[in-house]
Amino acid sequence: MENFKYADEQISPFEILIAVPSIVIAVGILILPRSLASVTVSSDGWVALLIGGILAILITWATAKVAAAFPSQHFITYATTLLKRPLAVVFTLLFAVQGIILTAYEIKQVSYTSQQYLFDRTPMEIISLTFLLLVVYAVAGTRAGVFRLNVMFLPIIIFVTIILILFSLVFIRSENILPVFQTDLKGYFWGLRESTMAYTGYGILFFYIAFVRNSKQAPKMAAAGMAIAVVLYILIFLTCIAVFGNVTTANLMSPTVELAKTIEIPGGILERFESIFFMIWIMAIFNTAVIALDISVLAITSVFPSINKFKLLLFLCPVTYFISELPNNITELEVMGEIMGTYSVALSLSVLMLLLIMMKVRGVKNSGSQ
Amino acid sequence: MKERGDKMVRRSFFRRNKKNPSSNQKENFTIKLGNDLEKNLSNVKNMLDDAEDLIIRHFTSGSHKLAIVCLEGLVDKEFVQTHVIRNLQETNDDLSDPAQTLDVFFQKMISLTSIKYAQSLDDISYGLLSGNTVLYLNGIDQVLILGTSGGKTREIQEPVSESLIRGPRDGFVEDIQTNISLLRRYIRDPNLRFKSHEIGRRSKQKLVVAFMDGITDQDLVKEVNRRLETIDIDFAPESGFVEQWIEDSFLSPFPQFMNTERPDKVSAALMQGKIAILLNGTPFVLTAPTTLGDTLQSPEDYYERWSVSSLIRILRYLGVFISMFLPAFYIALVSYHQGMIPTKLAFSIAATREGVPFPSFVEAVLMGITMELLREAGARLPQSIGQTIGIVGGLVIGDAAVRAGIVSPIMVIVVALTAISSFTYPAYSVAIAFRMLRFAFMIAAALLGLYGIILLYIAIMIHIANLKSIGVPYSAPFSPTFIDDWKDLVIRAPITLLKNRPVTTQTRDKVRIKKENS
Repeated sequence: MENFKYADEQISPFEILIAVPSIVIAVGILILPRSLASVTVSSDGWVALLIGGILAILITWATAKVAAAFPSQHFITYATTLLKRPLAVVFTLLFAVQGIILTAYEIKQVSYTSQQYLFDRTPMEIISLTFLLLVVYAVAGTRAGVFRLNVMFLPIIIFVTIILILFSLVFIRSENILPVFQTDLKGYFWGLRESTMAYTGYGILFFYIAFVRNSKQAPKMAAAGMAIAVVLYILIFLTCIAVFGNVTTANLMSPTVELAKTIEIPGGILERFESIFFMIWIMAIFNTAVIALDISVLAITSVFPSINKFKLLLFLCPVTYFISELPNNITELEVMGEIMGTYSVALSLSVLMLLLIMMKVRGVKNSGSQ
Repeated sequence: MKERGDKMVRRSFFRRNKKNPSSNQKENFTIKLGNDLEKNLSNVKNMLDDAEDLIIRHFTSGSHKLAIVCLEGLVDKEFVQTHVIRNLQETNDDLSDPAQTLDVFFQKMISLTSIKYAQSLDDISYGLLSGNTVLYLNGIDQVLILGTSGGKTREIQEPVSESLIRGPRDGFVEDIQTNISLLRRYIRDPNLRFKSHEIGRRSKQKLVVAFMDGITDQDLVKEVNRRLETIDIDFAPESGFVEQWIEDSFLSPFPQFMNTERPDKVSAALMQGKIAILLNGTPFVLTAPTTLGDTLQSPEDYYERWSVSSLIRILRYLGVFISMFLPAFYIALVSYHQGMIPTKLAFSIAATREGVPFPSFVEAVLMGITMELLREAGARLPQSIGQTIGIVGGLVIGDAAVRAGIVSPIMVIVVALTAISSFTYPAYSVAIAFRMLRFAFMIAAALLGLYGIILLYIAIMIHIANLKSIGVPYSAPFSPTFIDDWKDLVIRAPITLLKNRPVTTQTRDKVRIKKENS
């Protein structure tokens, strides 16, 4: 049945290009303008976003490069080669934990935001549970299917976001953007911290590069994919600031959704477009959650190859749901997001550093020679 | 993943590979013939229990006693009389050796294109039931099977199920030979291949897989043939049986094979590197692999000029969206997100819903089911009565129900628009899939509003992303992405720009238009 080269479990470099922004663009697109505006003055947050973005692109490129140096090898395999087996296992499991927490976090965010913008009476548990079941359904399919979903959804997400930005241009007021460069260094530092956390997700490359058919191209593609996310985030941030001003943005729950609230589509068929936009962004959040959970499954099955994928999912499903129910209110959820962001940045960076150092020490050629 | 793969194989093995050589297809009729004419004839008689339509005609040629056996209605009698019986009766050659005589008959006397020797009752029975005539000669244990099959078949007519404004008017018929010849007339290429199978343990129907050698991917052909060989069923009256047996996922609402009555559509599919499955006894030919994009294409898209057909295709995609989402969207807006409706419209909707006793979901389901009932009734009735049903239904739904205050006029508009949109699907099997999904969307909207709609949409996308049609992803060429194929997807680029065959089917000969022209 697997006759067609493109229909098997391998993925193309193009799908990596799509997968990176798919995992990066998530709840961040809805709430990032707020967290960034609260630590910077006026529109200066874009500097932090840009610097953070360039860093993220570099890290993405380096991560993909490291992974591509071992074509068709799983993370645990080459991590074992470079480090010791126990260390490799620990790191793999840490990635698995990160995936589960990320999924749980996204699920909770979806239910909070839907409750705010879509319906207020439906119990949050039902919203989370249906979303989680959907994510599990997607992960239970083939891995190629996960990537195909990304490819199908990302263009819609980007298209809709650009439409939103275009329609918001009418409301832009220049006094909201000016004056520029008023933030002190400390503000930039905190802004940078916010933006680096928004760009996390390159950790997936450690795992997915193994499936790429032509892994030599993968680093370039992954970096380009990250660039898409960077550009989109900067555009969204600037639009929010230009429309609302710094102070308002910093105090809105999800500035991007509020942005969608302000716009009017000519013709007036419908009002309050934020619901429609939010529906589309659910797809973005869904993409992230699916990749995150898939990484968990992939990590755990690579450590324990005897575990059946479906049994594992049956076990992960309640665990993820339980974790997503841990934060009791929006403030606790924010804290969870902070912890998770720091955790994943620290994990991805330290693994990357360790692997790079060990590659230098062991003298592995840093090229994707097959 | 490997494990999962194995499991799939095991499951499909269980489902499909029930074939076991001893019980397969052939009943035990391997009785050899004897030399005695009367005994041989009584064997045939016994086998068919002296059937009412069995014709046995004795006659002589020279000094030899002969008999021909055939089944009434399956043979062309005129043909047998003029080309067989008359020729043999008027012969003057008189050889004593029966074997030699039979050889002379074969070589000189019988002016038929198809003729062969047979020795067993099994071959004879198959020949007779296929409409051939069997010629017995006394004193030899061999017979001649004469290809005289004829009888009444349907004329080539315009296909009823797929009408076009512009395009060839011929359609497939029930007879497979005619259908094959129709394809041959469209594609005069020696590389057009027909591989035949026999389907049906009892019915022994001919099934033919058509493909273009040198264009179609070899593995695709192999896989289709492998699957066809696993079919073990007593009788397959329609290609739907074949389709359901060899499709990739029987749980999917989406058809993984397209069926068509149009030879032009099949030949175009063959040229795109697809395979076609023809079954004797049905005018519906299956083509595969199918992708989501294929299901919304009509052959007319290629016959009209590109701007026209591109717009029509976009219209069709719009039709899909309206017919799937509109009722669900209406339910979601009215029950959950009233704020999204512009104020004036909200007032008028509220005014029309005044006095309607049901929530919008019940209203929509009521109307939806009535609509489906009407459509089903209309499809099954003779055309003249079908129209009456339409009028009655239209009046009942459109007017009386509204006046009685059971449904609101807005809902009538929604349902009518949905129904009209769903008539734009070019293929019936696809239309059914989307009709089913429409109700699912309505339930999702009733339960969770817009959130429910988007969740169900994502769920369907997950399903499509994992679905395959003979190994080809159903979501191609959207994803996996083949930009080159997008020229003939939602829009249809000018013919001169469609230089290559679709990448999706991985054709061996990739170029349609040679470069010399440009």
